[in-house]
Amino acid sequence: MTALKSSPLALRLTAFLVLLGLIATVFQSFAPAYLSENNLHALLRHMSVNGLTAIGLTFVIVVRHFDLSFPGVASLGAMTLGWMLANDFTLMQSVAGGIAIGLVAGLINGNVISYLRLPDIVTTIATGGVAVGLSYFYSNGTSISENFFMSGILDLNDSRFLSLDMPVVILLAAAIVAFIVLHCTRFGRAFYATGENRRSAAFSGIRVRAYVLTAFGLCGALACLAITLLVASSGAANVTAGNQLMMPAFAAVYLGAALFGAPSIPATLGGTLLMSAMLNGFTLLAIPYYYSDAIVSTVLIAAIGIFDPKLTTLLGGLFSRQPAR
Amino acid sequence: MAAILDMKGIEKQFGVVKALDNADFSLEAGEIHALLGINGAGKSTLIKILSGVYTKDAGEIAIAGESVEIGTPAAAIACGIASVQQHPELVDDFTGIENIFLGQEAPQPGLGRRVDRRALKLQAEQLLKRFPIEIDLEVRVGEMPAVDREIVAILHALSREHIRILILDEPTSTLTEREKTSLFHLMRQLKAAGIAIIYITHRLEEVFEISDRFTVFRAGRRVATLTCHEARTSNISIPELMLDEKPGDIFPPKAKSAAGEALLDVRGLSRHGLFSDVSFTLRRGEILGIFGLVGSGADELSKALFGVIRPDAGTLTVKGKQVTLKDPHDALRRGIFLVPGDRRTEGLTLSRDVIFNMTLAHLGKASILGGLLRFGSNRKASAGLAKRVALHPMTLDRPVSAFSGGNQQKIVIAKGLYRDADIYIFVEPTVGVDIGARATLYALMRELSAHAGVLVISSDCDEVHGVADRMIALYRGRPVFVPDQRPSRDQLLTAGIMGARA
Repeated sequence: MTALKSSPLALRLTAFLVLLGLIATVFQSFAPAYLSENNLHALLRHMSVNGLTAIGLTFVIVVRHFDLSFPGVASLGAMTLGWMLANDFTLMQSVAGGIAIGLVAGLINGNVISYLRLPDIVTTIATGGVAVGLSYFYSNGTSISENFFMSGILDLNDSRFLSLDMPVVILLAAAIVAFIVLHCTRFGRAFYATGENRRSAAFSGIRVRAYVLTAFGLCGALACLAITLLVASSGAANVTAGNQLMMPAFAAVYLGAALFGAPSIPATLGGTLLMSAMLNGFTLLAIPYYYSDAIVSTVLIAAIGIFDPKLTTLLGGLFSRQPAR
Repeated sequence: MAAILDMKGIEKQFGVVKALDNADFSLEAGEIHALLGINGAGKSTLIKILSGVYTKDAGEIAIAGESVEIGTPAAAIACGIASVQQHPELVDDFTGIENIFLGQEAPQPGLGRRVDRRALKLQAEQLLKRFPIEIDLEVRVGEMPAVDREIVAILHALSREHIRILILDEPTSTLTEREKTSLFHLMRQLKAAGIAIIYITHRLEEVFEISDRFTVFRAGRRVATLTCHEARTSNISIPELMLDEKPGDIFPPKAKSAAGEALLDVRGLSRHGLFSDVSFTLRRGEILGIFGLVGSGADELSKALFGVIRPDAGTLTVKGKQVTLKDPHDALRRGIFLVPGDRRTEGLTLSRDVIFNMTLAHLGKASILGGLLRFGSNRKASAGLAKRVALHPMTLDRPVSAFSGGNQQKIVIAKGLYRDADIYIFVEPTVGVDIGARATLYALMRELSAHAGVLVISSDCDEVHGVADRMIALYRGRPVFVPDQRPSRDQLLTAGIMGARA
């Protein structure tokens, strides 16, 4: 454990692969279809939705804030998308409209939190609640699927690009852009500096509030991009569409950060893959979502606990002290 | 009078630093005893040992002639020693009475026990009868003025009846002159009730006003214990007693050539309650020193010059242009760089490596037009800066938290060098820095001053006097010297500690 803590990337990567292999072996032994081509496609599609949300959330976590509004915001984005499609807007307009809703909601969060300095958790719970309420406006809460077949939105789920499923392509594209921004540009430096020591970042001339604002904006927009893929795969826009986004996204970011030492885009992708591998396996085994959620949450807490440096040192201290007694 | 407390040969070591070196201290029953010394002289360590926060490495403590071991705060209280911190921790939402009896609301502990408010009120009245002072204890502490909070904290400390020794750590630092009077009134009441008070202060004029005796600490040892009467009659200078004798050769030579053009011109800069009417001119090619104790407003002044604090009045002229600094971003853009006093929370991103930190203050220079970082040239530039500031160990990839205090400070300076500023403001540049690294830092400041203006703000008088070409003292937010005079070290010290123009 101590070796892992101080280790270079290779060891952390090994731990990740071992964990992934373990999950795959367990599910494969219970459900032989787990590693079939069809299921892997399903798994990756599932991962695309969660991955996009988690990438957005990563920015918020990097600046050390919380966003609990994105499930509600995503529902609102889904309904906006559905309503626009049903009212003969083009596919591009509708998708852009949905994402714009997410961006606006995120910017509202960001403004309230960074400039008015309201607490992030309460603020985002409230905006999430408002968004859920607004999402009922379009159709009184019934799901929208008119015109979906004609509009071509289903192609977002079904079509392929270079033999990859479209959702996977979108996730990869978003991940590459996010990776470059967060890890290869001055803006990424500023995001991390803001999160790790806001005071020193401000003293270094970084406009910390603008970066907090941007992080929330990105989180909202990416959650709505993710929900677009979910709407495309289910063929209908639903007011509860966003509900299933929360746990996997937080779990992915924190699991990845725990495994790789800090929140980053590759860590988030790794975390998402682990989460999706588990959730998909449970679906395959026909374990109801409430049990699978409970199991995944347990895994999450255990993982964070094991990799948390405070706990590691505590355990290390316990083991080294005992022989002395 | 009999000694109620006798500390002999106390030793305490922190890593390589000997905080207390064979230190003695004695206190008589019912006296007010001022404990004096510059920062790092060892007085806080002594107090913390006495109140059970630290354990001593060696030495003896006797209370009323009986040898005692004080290992925990609870043991200190059991011995009759209570202390009030510099910023007392009170529960803002509770009333004065509730705060005074916090943790001893009922005779026996237990979840189901009701708090008997009437009994508490009665107890509070008794306490006030013992120490008559005017205060409304039914008010929420959050709404009390600073002095009432201090009084509540003192009464809390004295709420156990057997307390005979009270430690007050800089109680007047946040009080106004009038509030101070009422605090001193309470202290005299306590003294009359037979309680001995150890009183830490940085304000020397208060010593003669309130205390019976004083003890001066320097470099972990007691250098003198005198009654105020003795000090007055024998004309002893307290600042001289407090002064640390340091090797003088760690300071680089003073500027040889005359200073160049004015870079920073400050006229009548004021901020209510922090500093007022500060004026000076900083020129290229010189080091200007400002000596100010903790609480003198020096730290706040540095932040006003960097756009963190907005001044209420006065003007700021940077390179001939009058400006209002909006934020640090603005200050940096105008060529001002602050090496902040608290480098760990204000100067560095500790978990990140040297390159991250060195380039952080000028990300525009660290990246190409679209924002992509120039990884190669950033590494090269950081390596060059690391060499220039003599970083040790010379590794760029380790987190900044793994470097020593002096080397962390070098990294902050390198940040400024990367920014290529014209005006460097150093605040407490050598706190927590060992003597060898100090010399390097001072030499760096001198080197910087060749092409820029350097402002050094410090509570270390020797430092300001040793490194600066011209200097001012700041006393309670007001500048004491005209910057064009060259005071002696003692004159500067007296100015900063007593506010006197020597």
